[in-house]
Amino acid sequence: MLNTLKDIVRKSSIHVCIVNCGGCNGCDVELVALLSPRYDLEQYGIYVHNNPREADVLLLTGAVTEQWVTDLKKIYDKTPEPKIVVSVGNCPVSGCIFNQEGGKVYAPASNFIPVDASIPGCPPRPTEILEAILAVGPDAIAQRGREDK
Amino acid sequence: MSSFMGYIYDFARKTWVNKFSNAHTHQRVVNKPKRFREFPTVNKKYCIACGACTASCPSPHAILLVRDKDDDEGEGWTYPVINEGACIRCGFCAEVCPTDPKTLECGENHLYEPEFNIIPSKRQYIVDDYLCIRCKKCMRTCPVGAISVVDDKMVVDPLKCIHCNECVDVCPVEGAMKAVIVDNLQDQKDLIVLVVNFLEKFIENKTDDLRSLKKDGLLQYEVPITEIWDDALKIIPDGEIAMEIIRKSINRMKIRIIDWDSDKCKKCQLCVPECPTGCIKFDEENDTIVRDVEKCLRCSICYQTCPFSVIKYFLAKFAFEENEDGDEVIHISVRNSNICNDIVVD
Repeated sequence: MLNTLKDIVRKSSIHVCIVNCGGCNGCDVELVALLSPRYDLEQYGIYVHNNPREADVLLLTGAVTEQWVTDLKKIYDKTPEPKIVVSVGNCPVSGCIFNQEGGKVYAPASNFIPVDASIPGCPPRPTEILEAILAVGPDAIAQRGREDK
Repeated sequence: MSSFMGYIYDFARKTWVNKFSNAHTHQRVVNKPKRFREFPTVNKKYCIACGACTASCPSPHAILLVRDKDDDEGEGWTYPVINEGACIRCGFCAEVCPTDPKTLECGENHLYEPEFNIIPSKRQYIVDDYLCIRCKKCMRTCPVGAISVVDDKMVVDPLKCIHCNECVDVCPVEGAMKAVIVDNLQDQKDLIVLVVNFLEKFIENKTDDLRSLKKDGLLQYEVPITEIWDDALKIIPDGEIAMEIIRKSINRMKIRIIDWDSDKCKKCQLCVPECPTGCIKFDEENDTIVRDVEKCLRCSICYQTCPFSVIKYFLAKFAFEENEDGDEVIHISVRNSNICNDIVVD
């Protein structure tokens, strides 16, 4: 009963899955700040589901480490089409400070999966992350025919 | 039960009803605060291509020094380019940029400025955050409570400070608590330059000692401070301050000495293109190699290049002490550099 009600309410919201593929957790802390009352992610119709099978948007943080090279592709394959990938922070773009000589980092993430949008910053501000999700999220919803009519 | 009633009462309040009926994101949540450091901005025309920004940058791919192509109008610009995908917005590049006005700008910089003080004193008390071990001895000693912890750093409030100097005396780390004299910084620099030039000249004049120095040998001299004291007083008339600046600068000073034995030189000119500042030149008229001492960086590249060991390279360290007679002397110790130790020094 409650679950069906929730499903009805969340029908047109953007479902987000956070994937940390080996970073310093700084960007993840900023994502947690988004859930806090100050920014309150859910008032914009974004729902952090953390289940790739039901996600519209994959939020990618962290420089890709060796184990994540295969796991990242697996998670991407599990996400239903059409899918949107947003990379948060510098790590998925360039490897940031981890991309030193002798480092075992396989950045950029776009070598393995297609990335639609990236937010630079180490870490980016929560508002910047919010802006990026809201810029690409509604398109993903519209492509699935789930938009709020 | 009482807390539950509190909640009920809270909901019945007018402010809550107003907020609930007019729910919106507050502007201050969206705006960036003033202290927030943005990505650095680059002013191309001031860049001198010194590379200080790339050396200070902690992120490997964040800054690149690039040079435009030369065209008909002249040489292309050289300037840093920020890669926003790797920049961590630390602001170090803007802090180290030596040009004036700055080539790189990034938020408020970390440099300090003289602050207003109610007590007529030339000193300003500053905690060196890198050396400070946060033992809080200064905080406990301070008679007026001017020292406090802000963001896990010791901070001296200049408005409360009475300049009693007790925090400097109690500090267990030398140099962590600094009593900086702020009003004559340029004079202090001039004085340090005078001392360095005097000491370098003094060591360079001991050519016989330097050339006969063995591989692991050590040369030691003592110079009385009186030799530069008159010149020092011309720059800073206050003897006490001059002595303090000389003592502080000498105790942590290391200088590099280059000895040039032109009799051995075979004029092969290998050192001329290697010199990074171009201070070594070949004088065709007199058939000699000329070294411009003013421009020389003492980087030792010529020493590493020269196949005939014309150039020798030494490191000198200094200490400020009193000898047995109670006179203040500068103790000098000179040793061979340990770069390319394998080169046979005949």
